Amino acid sequence: MEKPKVAWYWCASCGGCEESFVDLAERLLTVFEKVDVVFMPVAMDFKKEDVEKLPDGSITVSFINGGVRLEEHEEMVKLLRRKSQIVIAYGSCSSWGGIPGLANLYNIDEVLARKYLEVPSVDNPNKILPAKRIKVKIPELQREVELELSDILPKLLPLDKVIDVEYYIPGCPPTPDVAWNALQALLSGNLPPKGSVIGASSRSLCDECPLNDTKPEEILLKDLKRPYEFIPDPEKCLLVQGLICLGPVTRGGCGALCPKANMPCTGCFGPLDNVADYGGKALSFIASIMDYSPMEEEELNKVYDKIPDWVGTLYRYYLAASKLGGRVGLAKSKLKGEVAEV
Amino acid sequence: MSEGFEPKIVVFACNWCTYAAVDLAGTSRIQYPHNVRVIRVMCSGRVDPQFVLEAFNRGADGVIVAGCHPPADCHYSEGNFKAFRRFTLFRRLLDSLGIERERFKLEWISASEAGKWVQVVNEMVNDLKKLGPLREKLEVR
Amino acid sequence: MYEEPRIGVYICHCGLNIAATVDVKEVAEYAKTLPNVVVARDYVFMCSEPGQNLIKDDIKNLGLNRVVVAACSPSMHEPTFRSAVESAGLNKYLFEMANIREHCSWVHGDRKLATEKAKDLIRMAVAKARLLEPLEEKEFPVYNSVLVLGGGVSGIRAALELARYGFDVYLVERSPTLGGKAALIGHVDLQTRGSEVINKMIELIKRNPRIHVFTNSELIELKGFAGNYEAKIRVYPRYVNERCNSCGECEEVCPVDVANEYDFGLSRRKAIFLPFRGAYPPYYVVDHRVCTKCGECVRVCRFNAIDLSEEPRELGLKVGALIIATGYDAYRPLKGEYSHGFHNNIITLFQLERLLDPEGPTRGELVINGRIPKSIAFIQCVGSRNTTPNARSYCSRMCCTTAIIDAIKIREKYPNTDVYIIYKDIMTYGSDESLYLEAGRRLVRFVKFEEEPPNVVISPEGLFIDLYEYTIQERIRIPVDAVVLSTGMVPRRDLDDVIRVTRVSRGGDGFLREAHLKLAPAESPTKGIFLAGTVTGPKNIMESIRMGSAAAAKAMALLSKGKVIAEPMIANVNEDICSGCAICVGVCPYDAISIKIVDGDRIAHVEEALCMGCGSCAAACPSGAMQQLGFKDRQLRAQVLAAFG
Repeated sequence: MEKPKVAWYWCASCGGCEESFVDLAERLLTVFEKVDVVFMPVAMDFKKEDVEKLPDGSITVSFINGGVRLEEHEEMVKLLRRKSQIVIAYGSCSSWGGIPGLANLYNIDEVLARKYLEVPSVDNPNKILPAKRIKVKIPELQREVELELSDILPKLLPLDKVIDVEYYIPGCPPTPDVAWNALQALLSGNLPPKGSVIGASSRSLCDECPLNDTKPEEILLKDLKRPYEFIPDPEKCLLVQGLICLGPVTRGGCGALCPKANMPCTGCFGPLDNVADYGGKALSFIASIMDYSPMEEEELNKVYDKIPDWVGTLYRYYLAASKLGGRVGLAKSKLKGEVAEV
Repeated sequence: MSEGFEPKIVVFACNWCTYAAVDLAGTSRIQYPHNVRVIRVMCSGRVDPQFVLEAFNRGADGVIVAGCHPPADCHYSEGNFKAFRRFTLFRRLLDSLGIERERFKLEWISASEAGKWVQVVNEMVNDLKKLGPLREKLEVR
Repeated sequence: MYEEPRIGVYICHCGLNIAATVDVKEVAEYAKTLPNVVVARDYVFMCSEPGQNLIKDDIKNLGLNRVVVAACSPSMHEPTFRSAVESAGLNKYLFEMANIREHCSWVHGDRKLATEKAKDLIRMAVAKARLLEPLEEKEFPVYNSVLVLGGGVSGIRAALELARYGFDVYLVERSPTLGGKAALIGHVDLQTRGSEVINKMIELIKRNPRIHVFTNSELIELKGFAGNYEAKIRVYPRYVNERCNSCGECEEVCPVDVANEYDFGLSRRKAIFLPFRGAYPPYYVVDHRVCTKCGECVRVCRFNAIDLSEEPRELGLKVGALIIATGYDAYRPLKGEYSHGFHNNIITLFQLERLLDPEGPTRGELVINGRIPKSIAFIQCVGSRNTTPNARSYCSRMCCTTAIIDAIKIREKYPNTDVYIIYKDIMTYGSDESLYLEAGRRLVRFVKFEEEPPNVVISPEGLFIDLYEYTIQERIRIPVDAVVLSTGMVPRRDLDDVIRVTRVSRGGDGFLREAHLKLAPAESPTKGIFLAGTVTGPKNIMESIRMGSAAAAKAMALLSKGKVIAEPMIANVNEDICSGCAICVGVCPYDAISIKIVDGDRIAHVEEALCMGCGSCAAACPSGAMQQLGFKDRQLRAQVLAAFG
């Protein structure tokens, strides 16, 4: 019996998903025994042509992590889609855009300018921005070569805005246990309906957090605190202490790693099944427990003022997948040229 | 702005106050622009910010959430308090997401304030006509 | 079991009300094109019998399982169509209305635009109808008894009302006697004191076997829901029993001496005392808070009526409803406010009332600081109407009438005593206006101030009142022997004890809040808890009595059917998703949600009889586990999406 073919591709990725996958350690070996890896740029020297040569649908599962940021990513994921039976969005970036998705708050020109011109450690006196074609002068060889770079898309997209996705494995990165649960489900064929999140819990993080039982009957806050302001009591619910812990609105399955380390949950496992927009829901639950009446608008605003970046706080991993996908009214690039000369 | 642009406005109206005010405008035959589509909820406290985001995403040029006057009119005591808390924060989110302030209103309209309802609608329609459709801005141009 | 929605859409012409503006035929044709719509009809008056029959017949013949009527506002005919649907055998909550009259044909003149809007509204109603689910109206049996908290005039009235109609009443009073403030102060009219009314009512209470009186008692716990409350009261020991014949010998030997709250501080009393002559129970009591248990009283009591070993006891009561009638406190002027506290001739209206009461500490003689004053001035609005920085903003309603009655009585009894009433406005409303005229006839002098409150000056020559008199626009100085500060009503200082146990809430002025001033008077926001008397704000005795009757009537209405029907469109928890994060618990204004342990998991639990269906918890629920039946996320989302085609 032929072993199922498996592919692993990364788009705009930090590599953390790969690392945590490797953290499966011995369990990884059992996986690799059972499958035939046909494409895995991070670890193996396969090329695009190798994928193109495969018959359509011959890859049983493709794991794709990272957000779709470049044209190359778009091309590759579409290719893998054709060649795969099942595509899995692995990690928060491919599921919802992840942290890189926050770039969708800016025009692409602002992003490029920041990265290539404004960052203090950048040394770019000729103000060169990337373009699709790069002409490189090599004085030592007295030659000029032309390279082709993938163009950057104006917005970062979650995987399912580019191709159909069967399953999502959440996390930034998915913990080894979550990855293992998902793999078990895949290998056993015991899969939930298409479109489901696998490997994690169907309840929020509070369900597995040891601090859940310490909550008072009613949770009402008069103040919000930022983590640097104080050292939280490790035996009391962090939300009750005034930190913005997104545990209640975030899918569980990670083992409440962050609250156990006395840090509030930032939401990397994304929303639960019945939630359509993570940030909207997070906003709703936090605001609902602020103990202020409409006659105390000024006082409430003072508390809200304490958090300088609400979008970042509520949509840290989810902005690209949100209902609005990022800031509206974004403009295409005016700065990028066709050719850059280096 | 595009000629003849007719903004589409979604309104979440609470059953006991705002919905009744809209009814009263009807019984009084007060004429006002057709651009609003009212969705009835029992209380403004039922309105989840997700619905508003969804409305914007699907083509609403403006959204209104309306309920009973604080502090004492809410049929359910404090539902409007929750609406106030949520949508006070929501405004900041809209600002960061580039959605103009005129596109979202949180209003308190009691059952007898048909005039206020009409005024709110007129104001939003006028503002939105100047701002143009939101739909176009959802794509990168 | 999923069944494919089969929707019938009915578009009403409403005569010409809709049809003149909206092209109903075009709209019906459009409705037919919507997915899951099996039939779409238009008819001249859908609410009429033939109109309703169209629906009923289609349900039977076409197997409809959802109905949409596009017509007037649901506030007009939702119940009508729900009944029609139910009578055809379909759950009445599988029905949705589109408002194309009040929200469309009556407000938009352009036929084309109104027709397009009507189509949108119907599409939205159909989108929701597709997702409607049958709902039940759950019933709960009730206890036919009521706990009345507070034995003042409104509580007593409520108790009598309830007993009259066959309900058992537990009348729970914190102090050792029934009667409240009206037993001590206040008038119903010039001839009738509050105490006379109280005494008559107490006679009726005594004879009524259905009314169980608990004085010296507090409500310490309230569990359950409307119709099914489990209350716990604590009865503090009186130490004195009915063998007491009020001889008073114990009082002579008691070493403890405290200010007498029944005379508003004008007199002193012992730890063992008789509150007042009409007190009920009609015998002495030991104030357990100040008694030193020295035993002197026991020693001298010839009737063996005192037992200092009595312990507090707790009782559980099963009641269907609770009426809170705990009354008010008198405003206490700050030391120095109108020079109060710096001169014994400056007293409050409450203290004056005790002086003028024939049962009071001076047997009705106007003796202040040992003498009958030759001149006495009332200063009105003390503690009310923002006259001084510490004053409340509201008018305390009864002080003008009371002061004027007292002024008239003083002029009657002491014709040589000059009486001044220094007022900002005279608020003797209704038939009390005649008192104002009577006072004028008896030469009570009315002196008006406006912005600046009068100043009470204490000098070696005596008391003076300095003010800027508004009618003559001059600064004047009035020498007086005594000053009466007409103090207003404030919420009881111990009101938090009631709030803690019953979880009712205060309004802006600190008194308890009624559920809705117009739609639900005498009701607290919590179903099954009613409010009577001055606990919700200043009132005179008659108004308190009426509100006692009102609260009783409401309680009886709740319990009269022997069962309560819970609101069907209530919050509902999906236990598979709920993580017990408890965000919902604090969001509910009715305390209807609690966290229970189910199979070791924390899960939110909605007390169905308490939930009023606002949906706040559903919007706050971070996981989407909490939904409001009839207004679920997916139902509302469907309407939003359908608004755009």
